[in-house]
Amino acid sequence: MTDSSRDNEAQLIQGMKAGDNESFQEAVRAYTPGMLAVARFYLDHSSAEEVVQDCWVKVIDAIRNFEGRSGLKTWLHRIVANRCKNRLRSANREVPTDFSESLEPELANRFNAKGRWDLPPKLQFHDSADTLMENGALSDCLDKHLSALPETQRSALMLYEAHQHKSDDVCNILDVSASNLRVLLHRARQKIFLMVETFQETGEC
Amino acid sequence: MLMCKDLAAIASDYIDGELPVLQKMSVRMHLMMCRHCRTFIGNLRASSNLLSAHSSGKADEEFLRRIDERVAEALLSVRKNKDSDSE
Ligand SMILES: [Zn+2]
Repeated sequence: MTDSSRDNEAQLIQGMKAGDNESFQEAVRAYTPGMLAVARFYLDHSSAEEVVQDCWVKVIDAIRNFEGRSGLKTWLHRIVANRCKNRLRSANREVPTDFSESLEPELANRFNAKGRWDLPPKLQFHDSADTLMENGALSDCLDKHLSALPETQRSALMLYEAHQHKSDDVCNILDVSASNLRVLLHRARQKIFLMVETFQETGEC
Repeated sequence: MLMCKDLAAIASDYIDGELPVLQKMSVRMHLMMCRHCRTFIGNLRASSNLLSAHSSGKADEEFLRRIDERVAEALLSVRKNKDSDSE
């Protein structure tokens, strides 16, 4: 985090503590996508939206006790996670997870019996991420594949890559062990890798 | 000896710097000798960067406005309570 973004955050928090409507609108826009990613780890789409809405109302009071020991984002994500966990507990539901294999089957099949590449990656992803993202078709394709990921993988990926949380925070928010987080991340990245590869080779999603 | 398949299984840990020293060294050795794995690691890293560059998930505008409304309502009732307390 840069100094200026830290100043912005401090200002935003002050505004929220003072009950300033505009500060809340700004915060809602900045933090809702991440909060939804957390909630979707635990709940279906409409319940997740419900929880995020409720959390924002709760934050109006809770922000007064926010001491800034963690960043605002982490604090908000924890509130969402706790609320989701309570909800699951009362519904007596478990989060389904699969941590058994670290290689995607589609990738695992590309090695021979000795463990050497049978179907190696053919070409290098030549462009930088920024140039790739200017490609609207690829960006749409990425969206499509992200939404097809299992919720657990997507949430872990979004919190870690897109929202730049540290591993410890992601484990804490999602209630998974460090080693399980590694599996979730790796599985999700492989799927994105396979998607980009197909896209570069065929131009199709 | 670390095989390509073993390397592929721990590639994210390598990229994120989460491997123990010895394993990290054997990955480096392998990468020096194996062009395919170099490409794989490079492409996996590019995929990871792609995700960081991709918008961090969008929430639709209508949903955001619904939150704004509920927050504005709640702020208003907080303010009213405060006013009646101070009277
Ligand atoms: Zn290799």
